[in-house]
Amino acid sequence: MLISGSKSAMAAIDFRSLMIFSAILRVLLIFYGEWQDTHMEVRYTDVDYLVFSDAASLMASGKSPYQRSTYRYSPLLAFLLVPNSIIHRSWGKFLFSATDLLIGLFIRTILKLRGVPESLCNYPVLVWLLNPFTFTIGTRGNCEPIVCAMVLWIIICLMTGNMIQAALWYGLVVHFRIYPVIYAIPIILVLDPTVFKHSQKPALQKWTSSMTKSFESSASLCSLFHALTNLFTKERILFGLISGAVFFFCTGLCFWLYRWEFLHEALLYHLTRTDPRHNFSLYFYHIYLHYEHEFSVVEKLISFVPQLVVQLVLIIRFAQDLPFCFLVQTVAFVAFNKVMTAQYFVWFFCLLPIILPWTNMRLRWEGISCVLFWIGAQSHWLMWGYMLEFKGRNVFLQLWLAGILFLAANTFALVMIIYRHRYSPMFEHLRSSNSKNARKLQ
Amino acid sequence: MMEAQPGRLICMKFLFMGCLIFFLGGRSFSASGEVNVYVKTKDSNTSTFSYSAKYLFGSYSGRYDSMLDSDFQDFKFKLLTSSCKVLQNDVELQPRLAILQRSLIGEGSHRRLVSSIRYSGQASSIPELPAYLCRLIVVERLPFGVFADPFELQNLVHHKVFTEAAVFGDTNLELPSFLSNRTVVEIHMDLGCNSSGHVEGLEINIVLPLHARYPPLEDGGYSTVKLNEPDIFMNYKTEQKPHNWVCLLTPTIESDKGKTDVLVWNVPCGIKAHTGLVTMVTFVSALLSTLFIVLTSFYGSNAEVTKDLKES
Repeated sequence: MLISGSKSAMAAIDFRSLMIFSAILRVLLIFYGEWQDTHMEVRYTDVDYLVFSDAASLMASGKSPYQRSTYRYSPLLAFLLVPNSIIHRSWGKFLFSATDLLIGLFIRTILKLRGVPESLCNYPVLVWLLNPFTFTIGTRGNCEPIVCAMVLWIIICLMTGNMIQAALWYGLVVHFRIYPVIYAIPIILVLDPTVFKHSQKPALQKWTSSMTKSFESSASLCSLFHALTNLFTKERILFGLISGAVFFFCTGLCFWLYRWEFLHEALLYHLTRTDPRHNFSLYFYHIYLHYEHEFSVVEKLISFVPQLVVQLVLIIRFAQDLPFCFLVQTVAFVAFNKVMTAQYFVWFFCLLPIILPWTNMRLRWEGISCVLFWIGAQSHWLMWGYMLEFKGRNVFLQLWLAGILFLAANTFALVMIIYRHRYSPMFEHLRSSNSKNARKLQ
Repeated sequence: MMEAQPGRLICMKFLFMGCLIFFLGGRSFSASGEVNVYVKTKDSNTSTFSYSAKYLFGSYSGRYDSMLDSDFQDFKFKLLTSSCKVLQNDVELQPRLAILQRSLIGEGSHRRLVSSIRYSGQASSIPELPAYLCRLIVVERLPFGVFADPFELQNLVHHKVFTEAAVFGDTNLELPSFLSNRTVVEIHMDLGCNSSGHVEGLEINIVLPLHARYPPLEDGGYSTVKLNEPDIFMNYKTEQKPHNWVCLLTPTIESDKGKTDVLVWNVPCGIKAHTGLVTMVTFVSALLSTLFIVLTSFYGSNAEVTKDLKES
């Protein structure tokens, strides 16, 4: 007991040190960013941060944030950054970096709730907090950590049986950034009447080191069939109504305040966006080559089919293992999206740590090969992107091929993650626990 | 500029204060901050800075719908004839200006247009022109396919590279050139002629950052954008009327080599011949990738379980 207690204390201290170190690192980076912005030609601050700040200062003076062209977010973001023009221009960076740290805390909370031992909890947190990509995202002033924190908080709320709060946050996060709408079906599926009982916390399935969980194809199909036949349960209807109400309330309020500007810039733009300019998406050159004429309905459908099929299959197979389902859905969504920029990667970087204790992937070969292939394909794309954008060379074909290679890298990583994952439903289902008890009695 | 709606403002302030009290736990704070704001005029799709400059092109966009060269020449003629009438016919008295060099620096989609201008004029020697401050105004009418970023120019004004700067026309920075309109940039630079009352042989370098839009498809792989010479004006200010620019002139333009060369910018563009191949390979890749993910989802994990069971 004493040994395990001291081990736990050690791990807790380690976590605290990790958080303090991460906080100091972020503060230093924010100060460094200020210095670089003033003294060097190339800014450290993300160009989007300047857009948010301009929009926030417009809002502070009672004007529409959409008077700032290229501001394409919810007015809530500009509202959060109003102190940029009252307190200090770096307010938003501190806010985003604090959220970044909060994500570290949420990752640990999720892992502990799922019974991951203290000694194993810190590594996934470390993967998030000390990832150079993530700590630069927040300190450069990118707003994505806020979205990630909300998504993780929704998972925590569901795990602790706080369905109403989960619904409130879900409605808000879909309003704030539309992409979490892809999580709607798995959340609905996981709100199983055999899991969520009146005034009872759902029973969480605990992590074990040698989990050879039975995972039959028919199991998830059966549970899907079961879910569909029992779709209209109280919990599911309540979740849908609350999250829908929050979404429509926020959207309605913003529409009342900023009218069509808001609807066009913050909502319709993202839903209909097809960018002909070069980006990581494999579709960019195809879109550019067809941009002079309207896409036919068939063409639009064809490009939508892979996204739809993959999302549906991943939901059918992994919905009950909710954090894993969120991760694979997000990776696939980003990989097949018509527009893909580097900031989208943070959407799945925040989910990766919460599935790490369930992976059988060997770090030395499989893990490293995944990471190297992914980074290599991205760097290869960036090289051609540089040739096109900064050297003025016509390398559209090479850049598009590099985009396909990057899709292959994303697919490889996704396939490896699925292949080496130990499927573990988040909740203990009532029937299975009943049958277990029955077996014990026998 | 849109008027602030009082109701909305109060609502936002109230909400913000509520949240601030919540987050800061009622602690008091003092704050100060500088606000630099762009304004996108709703009706005319025209962007100007909120600085109090009076732009020449501002009045043009109010009178003309198009950006045709003939319209601009007409506008320029009317503008000049309504100002400095006394000097219009006296070429000798007018200030002289030479465009020494024009060049594009950079190789890619983001370049700098450098214009080297030599100005010589003796404003104080003209009794009819009691000037103490001269302002050089450069109007660059950019061709299709090239734009200037108003936010970048704001930064340059902030760093006092330009006295004033504005972008008119199509300020949507993301549209490809076949869906966008022309852009006009107006730059104001104060010249230090107030101390001696005249400027002799002053050389001014204007560096304007420009960006290429995505051009229409062409078989050659490059789209050519030609940049013509800018229109240049001189504006004079009297001491007695500090807020009035009293006299606008087009300086007599003289060039060492006659007219400077038209600058050519070759922008890489999509090649129409790629269309079939790109469409086919894009969708085949997407479908193959989909297939791999679907197959792994259904069968990959089972294989893993079987292996584990065998090992155990």
